Amino acid sequence: MRRKFPDGVPVISPVSSKQRQFDALVRSLSGDLFRYGYWLCGDEALAHDLVQETFLRAWRALDSLRETGAAKAWLITILRREHARLYERKLPQFTDVDEIDVVDERDAHLPEFAGEENVIRNAMRKLDAKYRDPLLMQVLGGFSCEEIASELKITPAAVMTQLFRARQKLKTMLDGGDVRGAQIHELS
Amino acid sequence: MNCLEFRRQLSIDPQCGEVDFVHHARECARCAEACERANGFESSLRQALAIAPPPQLAESILLAQATQQQRQRQQYRRGGMLALAAAIVLAFGIGMRVEARPLSTQAVEHLREEAEVLTSTKLVSPGEVQQAFAKRGLALHSIPDGISFVGCCPMERHLTVHMVMPGGNGPVTVIYVVDDHERAREDFQRDGWHGRSIPMGQGTLVLLAQDASQFDHVESIWRAALQG
Repeated sequence: MRRKFPDGVPVISPVSSKQRQFDALVRSLSGDLFRYGYWLCGDEALAHDLVQETFLRAWRALDSLRETGAAKAWLITILRREHARLYERKLPQFTDVDEIDVVDERDAHLPEFAGEENVIRNAMRKLDAKYRDPLLMQVLGGFSCEEIASELKITPAAVMTQLFRARQKLKTMLDGGDVRGAQIHELS
Repeated sequence: MNCLEFRRQLSIDPQCGEVDFVHHARECARCAEACERANGFESSLRQALAIAPPPQLAESILLAQATQQQRQRQQYRRGGMLALAAAIVLAFGIGMRVEARPLSTQAVEHLREEAEVLTSTKLVSPGEVQQAFAKRGLALHSIPDGISFVGCCPMERHLTVHMVMPGGNGPVTVIYVVDDHERAREDFQRDGWHGRSIPMGQGTLVLLAQDASQFDHVESIWRAALQG
């Protein structure tokens, strides 16, 4: 933003380049962060708080971000740490994912319960966290297997196995099968 | 790549762009079909995960950040006024001797406020280190390697250069306090951190880490850099 003095000489506004960088990060990545946060904690209000706290921490450490391309992964790492801190402080009262029905026949006719998207979302909620986490990091975060492995502190081979199984289990659930007894086939 | 390997990779990462993977999809009709199905599934999955963020999410974050900054500025201003008042009282009452909290306490608190920088692993350039010291009016005799973060931070009333050096036994935080020369070196432990403060040059070098075994080495590096 530029202001002009009466004599017409333009002056740069006092908004710092750090502030501009931060604004751009918030505007371009807060939506993605919110989606990731939501699937991590399963609660919209909490996801909002997590994203806000993530960005406030990011602001304080913005000088350590050197590559624009790494910003999303950097923010997701902060968000994951913030989420872990939340659990250290107190365990929020969430509905256990096992208590959420995929689709209740009684409600199936309601618009909010209808549609493929809701069926997939409910299947995702039912997926065990050890499978859901790497899948979210890959699909929403755009992380590679190596990056997921580094973040979750497991081997890349274990990440590949979990991603493979996550998709197989999801497909089994969407086909109406029981995820606990799901047979994992190499070729389907 | 054979069909089995292809299908496995397809379930691990359908967006895989490896040459073998792409080539196999072109060569094998059945796998190409499977790939199309997998991409369809992936697209549905992506769509299902795309929960709409609350309206004005970005604005609410920016507002929170602006509010926090404003509050900090007010605190600094209020702190500045109080410090001025306190200084006047002290000057008249007991002379100009102002007692500050120990550097060790200030350093641990500063570290806690900026804990994120401990996770940086990418090394900064020697130029950035040199620039940070130059900003504090200092020239280094040599520039140490292996610094993953450098910043000119205020630490309460002190001017510092704050750095992080990743080491084999965890990162070592190095804070050079430009305007405070401690009378004697001291090893300390505070809030789970091991620390050492060393009078060096015109200022004081403070080291903090979870493991104190690297302190001697880091101290010698900075003694050479600051004193030649």
